[in-house]
Amino acid sequence: MSFDHTMLYLTAPEITLALLASAVLLLDSFLKPSQRVLTYIATLLSLLIVFMVTFATHVDSSLMAFDGQYIRDPMSDVLKLSLFVLMAFVFVYAKDDLRRRGSERGEFYALGLFALLGMMIMISAASFLSLYLGLELLALCLYALVAFQRNSASGSEAAMKYFVLGALASGLLLYGISMVYGATGQLGFAAIAERLQQGQVDAVVMSFGLVFVVLGLAFKLGAVPFHMWVPDVYQGAPTSVTALIGSAPKVAAFAMAMRILVDALPSMQEQWQLMLIILAVLSLAVGNIVAIAQTNIKRMLAYSTISHVGFILLGLIAGTTVGYASAMFYALVYALTALGGFGLLMFISRQGFDAENLHDLKGLNERSPWYALMMMLVLFSMAGVPPTVGFFAKLAVLDAIIRVDLLWLAITAVIFSVIGAFYYLRVIKMMYFDKAECSEPLQASTDTRFALSLNGLAMIGLGIMPSALMSVCASVFA
Amino acid sequence: MLALSDFLILSALLFSISIAGIFLNRKNVLILLMCIELLLLAVNINFIAFSYYLGDTAGQVFVFFVLTVAAAEAAIGLAILVVLFRSRRSINVEDLDALKG
Amino acid sequence: MLLFAATMVVTRRNPVQSALFLVLTFFCTSAIWLLLEAEFLAITLVLVYVGAVMVLFLFVIMMLDVDVAAMRAGFVRYLPIGLLVAIAMVVQLVMVVGPQRFGLDKVAAPIRHAADYSNTEELGQLLYTVYMYPFEIAAFILLIAIVAAISLTLRRRKGVRHQDISKQVRVKRDDRVRLVSMQAEERDD
Repeated sequence: MSFDHTMLYLTAPEITLALLASAVLLLDSFLKPSQRVLTYIATLLSLLIVFMVTFATHVDSSLMAFDGQYIRDPMSDVLKLSLFVLMAFVFVYAKDDLRRRGSERGEFYALGLFALLGMMIMISAASFLSLYLGLELLALCLYALVAFQRNSASGSEAAMKYFVLGALASGLLLYGISMVYGATGQLGFAAIAERLQQGQVDAVVMSFGLVFVVLGLAFKLGAVPFHMWVPDVYQGAPTSVTALIGSAPKVAAFAMAMRILVDALPSMQEQWQLMLIILAVLSLAVGNIVAIAQTNIKRMLAYSTISHVGFILLGLIAGTTVGYASAMFYALVYALTALGGFGLLMFISRQGFDAENLHDLKGLNERSPWYALMMMLVLFSMAGVPPTVGFFAKLAVLDAIIRVDLLWLAITAVIFSVIGAFYYLRVIKMMYFDKAECSEPLQASTDTRFALSLNGLAMIGLGIMPSALMSVCASVFA
Repeated sequence: MLALSDFLILSALLFSISIAGIFLNRKNVLILLMCIELLLLAVNINFIAFSYYLGDTAGQVFVFFVLTVAAAEAAIGLAILVVLFRSRRSINVEDLDALKG
Repeated sequence: MLLFAATMVVTRRNPVQSALFLVLTFFCTSAIWLLLEAEFLAITLVLVYVGAVMVLFLFVIMMLDVDVAAMRAGFVRYLPIGLLVAIAMVVQLVMVVGPQRFGLDKVAAPIRHAADYSNTEELGQLLYTVYMYPFEIAAFILLIAIVAAISLTLRRRKGVRHQDISKQVRVKRDDRVRLVSMQAEERDD
């Protein structure tokens, strides 16, 4: 192996974040509980530094480092930069929520940063080995975060379910990887693709491996029929952690699917396309229909996540560069929208009380018209009502699907999202036309208010000008 | 002389036993965790067998990392279990009904 | 032997027995890995798993003091479905990895290495060169495991007596010894 400085240059974002996350962890252990705000500031500063480092070292073509373990291409750069922004929102929202629960501990920030590191490693993985390790780094942080509120029984129960199912999923994924390794003798994505191209690979073993890999992937994405953990984890975890789980990891999971299916197994496209179609249709159906029956808003958002995952899969199914770009656009937009939703939920919660049930949102308009408007924008975006950005994301995915002559799939998706729009509109009706059950004013610190407003306005801002983000997404696959 | 298929069948059997174990022991989280260890063991046998017969060390390196991760995973899993037990006084899965699903 | 032990792991009533059978499974596996010339990993398996992970398991089992008898009421109920799933999987898997695909005639046995071949050395060479990046990531995974396990289970209880070293060192003579000037008592006699 040749070790030179270009390697350090390429991996600079990961190295910087690893150092900064360790520094935050170390700093926190020397601080008194009353100085916890310093950890928060240090965390946001580290995100800013990593953002600048990544931006300064961005690349225009795809480059490999560490003997084919690491890849850096425009897609990874864009995804990483957006992850930093998403995580910054998560930390801002989480700060008030943690303080309110009396469980503001520095480990939250450190584990959050390490989870981010895991996501970055997944995004930049060029072999099954680094992909697996990044995935586990992310998953271990999330398991711990879900159980973070130690005296909450539902939190630890959710963590246990998440842990068992997550470990099972990585077991299946690993079995699939071992099959692929056995059939091709390679672990690097590019090398596997090359072997498959040459065609001296046992097709049965390969497709068997593919089945297991897709199973593991579906588990991690939370697609039906492997979605059982999603509602429980969303409901059981503290809302701040739910916001983390529901946003950024979806972007990383999209990257993981891209790396495995498109980078490593492009010649098996017909097979994985079929599997993904089944997953996508089931996800859309179950996600939208079951969500109607929910009274707990976190569970409702969980089922809505499942249906949105269906949409992301639709973009992958198209199998064209337009499709990939639209799926990426959708994943980014969805992550931002979900963050806004959970952020507002934390905002409504009060001391010793979590906004969990739908009727807690009643009459939000009387209590705070501005944030009711923000919530409405977020929900409109999830439902896909123009002119919010969610509409354009759905439109882009459907356009890509129709272009590859899968019209029936597009029609199914439209029907289910119309059904889905019903429960979003029901929430909006509650906010505007029902009487409030309590009239306590809402309180939050300035930075949270600012971030919430920014997040809500981004929905409409990106909706009016979707072309900027869309062209970025398209350019990375060009 | 043992063929590659012998090792693979062994690993497949072990894999199936552990999956069946996960189905059977829905009541006891501790044994669920052990089943997950068995699952990873089956995967590791697969990797080592392939690596030996392909004459490629990459598989062994992968096993090395899987072992590391599995140890970390067991530590976190048991930690969650302890937290759960403290809040519930029980690790019986059927008592875990606060969350429907 | 391996399969017997593995079956015992999933069917035993008592988690302690399960754990001990799991140890037996690990020993058998490690012997199989020796057959496959993966000496380093075989030894690591015994050291790490039998030595550390299983001790952790046993420790937790003992600590939690589980009610064993109530544990198994529904075992028989799930037996048919469990067996069905297992048999279906075995048939599927064996069809894929059976002798017609990976038999000796398809994949020849490799030549055994010479006596001076060191598996440990070769793995070490690879680990610190080609696989350096995953190696660093693994370090962070272990760090996370430590941080998470401690932050989840460490509780500072009030009222627990423990030493505070710095307080002990900083202690002054005046804190401990009180010099009392008393008037000398008169002798009675």
